[in-house]
Amino acid sequence: MHFKVRAATKEDCKEISRMILELAVYEKMPDQVKISHEELERDGFCQNPFFECLVAEVPEENTSKDGFTVVGYALYFYTYSTWKGPTVFLDDIYVMPEFRGNGFGKGLLCKVAKVGKEKRCVRLQLTVLDWNTPSRDFYAAKGAQDLTDSEGWHFIRFDGQNLDNLANEAPKD
Amino acid sequence: MASFILRKAEPRDVSDIMRLIKELAKFEEMEEKVVLTEKDLLEDGFGDHPFYHCLVAEVPKLQGSEGYTVIGFAMYYFTYDPWIGKLLYLEDFYVMQEFRGLGIGSKILKVLSEKAVKTRCSGMHFIVAENNTKSIEFYKRRGAADLSSEEGWRLFEIEKDDLLKMTAK
Repeated sequence: MHFKVRAATKEDCKEISRMILELAVYEKMPDQVKISHEELERDGFCQNPFFECLVAEVPEENTSKDGFTVVGYALYFYTYSTWKGPTVFLDDIYVMPEFRGNGFGKGLLCKVAKVGKEKRCVRLQLTVLDWNTPSRDFYAAKGAQDLTDSEGWHFIRFDGQNLDNLANEAPKD
Repeated sequence: MASFILRKAEPRDVSDIMRLIKELAKFEEMEEKVVLTEKDLLEDGFGDHPFYHCLVAEVPKLQGSEGYTVIGFAMYYFTYDPWIGKLLYLEDFYVMQEFRGLGIGSKILKVLSEKAVKTRCSGMHFIVAENNTKSIEFYKRRGAADLSSEEGWRLFEIEKDDLLKMTAK
């Protein structure tokens, strides 16, 4: 099936937002999606964007059953390792179910790797849920290592009231 | 009790930051994995497109000397969650052993939290090794959630050689 992978534009944010929710449903956490296309437009297309995004697009004659041409996305940003230097962090990668098995996911992942390489990144990192065997296998086939398994890394978060409580205790300037 | 100050890192601090990075890596039993140099740190943190921000903790030099010594640091940057938006990501956080128990680590975490809230971040994320029980308890006491345990998130990595293979396709 013919498709292209290109950089997202501000106008794509509504489609990306739609697919973010589809992915959250797949990950069994749809109620955790709190932002809409407006935040994506503001945060991804400002002077110092907080993320970059690629989309997978099919020609008009191959639209999804609901009429969409933007049928996949990869959202990523740059992080830094004090051991190795610049890293590209792939936060979300998703292809609509009816378009899977055609190399769209691989196309997105490889393009992210290419963009990362152009920015001098020495590695690509991502997180994946433990029960998501198809994704874990997909990444393992490309040479990914599970660092939670091999090195015991755990992903930690402070948010909501706990973050506010911590912040309120900060020393005054 | 030693008094201390927290301030934004400057280019002159890179050799101290490098020293502390190596100390932390040694503590995590992964010292040989540090390939970054002072030159990289300088270019990556203080060049045109900084990849990170850094706070340093200093104590006054020994009695009779002038100035301060850097004894702790926290390196962070901003990331993005497609569900909740901007986040502050804490990459490295370390206080030299002999200066622990004085509230320096606590203060650093509070300053970073304040920064996160001021810049409209929805949360602060980081990773910690599962055998580092002291650090895990430090964070949990302050309300942190272990998303690997609670939600099953696992950290994956594709290294340079495999990245290059993908770009060749």
